[in-house]
Order: sequence, then C-alpha cells, then structure tokens
Amino acid sequence: MTPRFLTPKELALLSLVQNELVPSYGDLPPAGTLGAALTVDAYLAEQPRLRRPVLTTLRAIEVRSGKTPFAELDAGRRVEVLRKVEDSDPESFSELVKQTYNAYYTRPDIQASLGIDGPPQPLGFELPAFDESRLSRVRAMGKLWRDD
Amino acid sequence: MPAPEHDSDVLIVGSGASGAAAAWSLSRRGLRVTCLEQGRWVDQSEYAHSRPDYELARQTSFAKDPNVRGWAEDYPINNSGTPIHPLMVNAVGGSTVHWSGHFPRMRPSDFRVKTLDGVADDWPFTYWDLEPFYDLNDSMVGVSGLAGDPGNPPRSPRQTPPLAFDAGCEAYLRGLEKLGWHWWPCDNALISEPFGENRSPCNCCGPCDIGCPIGAMSSAHVTYWPKALAQGVQLITHARVEQITVDRAGRATGALYYDEQGVRQSHSAGVVVMAANGVGTPRLLLNSTSAIFPSGLANNSGIVGAYLMFHPVALVSGVFEEVVNGQRGPIGGLMNCQEFYETDLSRGYVRGFELQLSRNVGPLSVANGGILGHPVPWGSGHHEALRSRYAHTMTTSVMLEDLPERENRVTLDSELTDAHGIPAPRVEYRLGENTQRMLEFGIARARDLFEAAEAVEILVDPLVRESGWHLMGTCRMGDDPESSVINGWGQAHECPNLFVIDGSTFTTSAAVNPTSTIQAIALRCADWLGRNYQEVAA
Repeated sequence: MTPRFLTPKELALLSLVQNELVPSYGDLPPAGTLGAALTVDAYLAEQPRLRRPVLTTLRAIEVRSGKTPFAELDAGRRVEVLRKVEDSDPESFSELVKQTYNAYYTRPDIQASLGIDGPPQPLGFELPAFDESRLSRVRAMGKLWRDD
Repeated sequence: MPAPEHDSDVLIVGSGASGAAAAWSLSRRGLRVTCLEQGRWVDQSEYAHSRPDYELARQTSFAKDPNVRGWAEDYPINNSGTPIHPLMVNAVGGSTVHWSGHFPRMRPSDFRVKTLDGVADDWPFTYWDLEPFYDLNDSMVGVSGLAGDPGNPPRSPRQTPPLAFDAGCEAYLRGLEKLGWHWWPCDNALISEPFGENRSPCNCCGPCDIGCPIGAMSSAHVTYWPKALAQGVQLITHARVEQITVDRAGRATGALYYDEQGVRQSHSAGVVVMAANGVGTPRLLLNSTSAIFPSGLANNSGIVGAYLMFHPVALVSGVFEEVVNGQRGPIGGLMNCQEFYETDLSRGYVRGFELQLSRNVGPLSVANGGILGHPVPWGSGHHEALRSRYAHTMTTSVMLEDLPERENRVTLDSELTDAHGIPAPRVEYRLGENTQRMLEFGIARARDLFEAAEAVEILVDPLVRESGWHLMGTCRMGDDPESSVINGWGQAHECPNLFVIDGSTFTTSAAVNPTSTIQAIALRCADWLGRNYQEVAA
C-alpha cells in the first residue's frame, strides 16, 4: 500500500524501527512486519500534531546511524542507536513509541493473543454479584464520621 | 394576554450535571426555562466500545482534556500555570457524558471545616440541609450501592444493588482485612439493575471513561434531560455564550451568544443561572464587564475565579501474580476506603483523603502507561513486561481534600481565545503545603495497602496531571459578600437575579467526587428559586 503521509523511505525506516520497539514474541511477528508503519502513517495523515515528533525521531535515527544505514546495522547496534536517540529527545521518541503501541495493540490478532475475544461491547462481561457478608468486620467498626 | 416581558423566565447557561437538574426542577413549577449549551448531543454512533481500537478514543475523540480532544465545541484553556489540567466535556450532559460515575456524598464535617478544624470556611448550610436533595437526586438519576456504611450518615436505600465484586476486589480485600481498614462498596451513578427509561443495566464492559453506549451510566443526558424536555424546557445546542448582560441597575437581563451558524444572538430572561462548571462560569462572569461591574459580573469583591480547588490525585497501582482482570467491570466502581478521611493532626496535616479502589484498563492503555503513569518499556523485554501488568493490575486513586487558597484562580487569558474570539480561561494553581504533606502520607498508605494485598510490584504516579475533573470554588458560597460570590441559595450577593449552581459554588472541596453534591446543591437552589421566582425576578 502507498503511504498517505510518509515517503516510502521513511515508511521503510519506521517499519524497521518498530521491529525493535515491539519485537517478535512466540508466533507473533514484530510490529513493523505486521504493518504497524502503515497504520502510524494513517495517524500522521489524520493528526498533524503527531508529525513533528515522529519525523524528528526518524531523522535523528538516520543521523545517529552514521555512514551505515539503519537497515544494515546488526540488531545490537540498532538498539544502541535507538537508545541514544531516546536519550537525546525523550519526548519525541516516546510519541513514536506510543503511536507504534497504538497501531500494534488495536489489532484483533494481537488482542486475541492476550485472551481478548472481542471489543467491550456489545457483550460486556459477567462478573460475580456483591456478597454483603464480606462487610461484617466493617459494619462492626461503628460510626466513623463526625457530627457537625 | 400581554406578551411576556422576557424570552424566558429562567435562562440556564450549561446543560451538564447542575444545569440539567435545575432545568428539570424549575420547569416542574411551570417556569419557562431555556438552556444554552455550547456543545451538542453526543450521538450513539460516536462511542467506540464496539471497535477493536476503542482505547484510541482516550487519546482522541473522547480525550478528557479539551485541549487534546479539540472538538469544535470546546474552548482552549491556558494550562501553563498549573500542574493539574482542568478536564471537561462540552456537550449536552457536560462532563457526565464520560466519567467514572463515582457518586459519594460529602460528610457532615465537610460542611463545618472552620468550626471543626480551624481552617478555610464553613459552608452556609449543613449536610442535613442538603440531605433531602441528595435523596431526591439519587432517586432521579439511579445509584448503585449499599446503605449502611459506618463511614457516613445513614442514607436511603440505593436504587440498585452494588456492582460486581470480582478477583480484583478480592485482592484489595486481602490487604484491607489484614490492615483492618474501613472500606465500603462505592455509590455509583451507574445502574446495576433496570432503572429508568431507555437505559440498560451495566454489563461490566469496562471503559466508562469513554462514555456509556447503553445508558447504564447515570449521565445527565439520559437522566434529567429527557424529563426536562418533556416538561417544555427549551435546550439550544451549539450556543456559545459570550457574556451575561445587565441593565443600568446591575440586574442580569439575559445573555449574548453565538448560534450554530456563528450569528450573534441575545436571549432575555428574568433570572440567569450559571451552570457552566468551575472554569466556564467564572470565565463568562469575568468576560461580562459593564459600567457597574467593571471587573466582571458580580465581581466587585474580586472573588470571582479565585479559590479554585481541584482534587489532587496520586495513582498507586499494584501488580499481582494472579489474574485480576482489572480491565473488566466499571473502571471506577468498586470500593472506597475512608480510613483516613477525618482530621488527625498526628499525621502532619489537617483534613483528609480517601482511597478509591479502582480497576484498570485494556492492553493499549497499559502499554502506554495510561492509568499507571508508567509506559511498558520497548525492546526485548516488552512482551513479558506487558503480560505481567495487563490483567494483573489494580489501581487506587489517592484523592485529597484541597483547601481553598485565593491565589489559585481562573482568569481571562490576554491572548488566547476560542473560535468566536471570546477570551479563553487561564488557570493558575499550585499545591498548598498541607496538600503536599497529605499527598505524601496518602501515597504511603496506598503502598501499605498493596503490600498487604501481596502485590509483586507497586507503581506510583505521584501527581496525575490529567486529574482536573473536579473544578470547584471559583464562585464560592458564603454569608460574607467580602469573601464569597453567592449566598447559600446560589444567589449572587451583588446581583440578586443571578445564580450560580455548579462546582464553582463549593466553599471547600471535601475529599470525595463532587457530582452528587453539585446536583444536590443545584436542586436545592432551584427549589428555592422556584418558590421565590416572582420576588427574585421583580
């Protein structure tokens, strides 16, 4: 799919970064491989206030990667670059992380991996009714409020 | 029959908790009531609960901070001078459209702070004066809970039984029983069984804070407004009030507002009732300048906007080994611990706090830190960390009484305006020394609770920035016109046909959620106004 806001190069970099932020887990692929970059691209297209921190962070990652592009760094070096970028501008970096989490944890397949079988409505949840006998100790405490 | 002198007998500004209750009460007496609301009806289709991305609503369309949410109906707030951001919803039903629904009452001692503890001021009436209106309000909105709490005076049977009691409650109980502390199932503006029309009992879906799509939450737009409209109240939405107008004698004559098309309109009334919340009401009064009120309507005393109180909140979360499924069930509607509510000077501060033992949120909000205040770290340990917290965490609010201080205030910003060019509010607020000492003590007690409950990890957000739901004190009640804006009936000392009935009225803040008290005050003031309308409007 064609990104709506990011350039193809930015989208590819974001996807690689996301794979480090939320790596694979068991059978679950990492966030970038799952397509979280395109979802974040859609957020950026719709919410201009998110653009500056995300673009700032992507550019800082390119700069920190030095002469070797981020894509060609080994896993350890990628994490090192990301930590340095985070340390230098934690506010912008945290926005990129937040949007990655937004894209990842709103996926039904990821929710299913956490035991969630659907959104809160329309089914809700059946929970046990309150048992008044649990209050016997508190009832015996007597009046705890002050008269005026 | 002569034409009426005014467009309406009573003009109410704001359709939230207090405005809705007053509209219902005043229209019962046959008065012609109009309400101006800058927001709209929130449409059923706007609720996100049936979508897998429902948690995004907390960050976007249903964000609690209007500066973040940015609805066209919202106005900006300059928050640069406060560590706590004011939160509100500008819609029919006001901030009850999405809230936790905690519905406790204040205690008798909360109305006698000066007499009992030597600080702040007494209210101009007592708990017992307000009690019948608490009862009336509960019977109108529908409350779940249980009478008999030894921490509070006896009260009428609740309309529906307490909400569910599940694994998270058992975890809390483990700690409470070890410590021997007080607790009681919360009164909630949330029905657990059928009550009222076109409403369904709570089905424990969880995220009350992004609204209730089934009408279980006792929000003003599903409780009072259908009845008020049936009694003939005229509710004008998308009506952004610019100022309250006065005549040469300094009596309120109505309001100027911008309609949905942006056209400036005027509406005249025999009495004007302000119900626009603890930030919106002082903002509009301060913007209503005239020859007789050069500093704003009813503000020759300089008190309008002063004495702003929040309820400063710390959040303390306990992570348990067992699954507690905190994301299931009403997010706030569990138990209250009022062990530390009344003054005990040996603790190093005056007045008190309550621990609101609450649930938690879904995986996205857990990952982002949401209610915990601590985002899950990214990288190789991310999944394990997420799985150790999600469905394993319960969160307690430490909610403090905030003493009134004149320096904490709402003023008009000199530059920032809303979309109609009306000056935006600026909020200046700092935590008092007493509050800081109490906050520290309260966090320590919440830690004690989670340790006793055998939590394996405890996370603390020591002062929640987005906790300014409770906007109080900015047009405070009192008998002395030099130190208060309104009397005990909500009537302005300086302008007898102007009333204030929202959270602005609070003389002191107590340490419980204010909506139940706000609505009881609105009903009490409206009852008095209804009985005395001819005299007040003459």
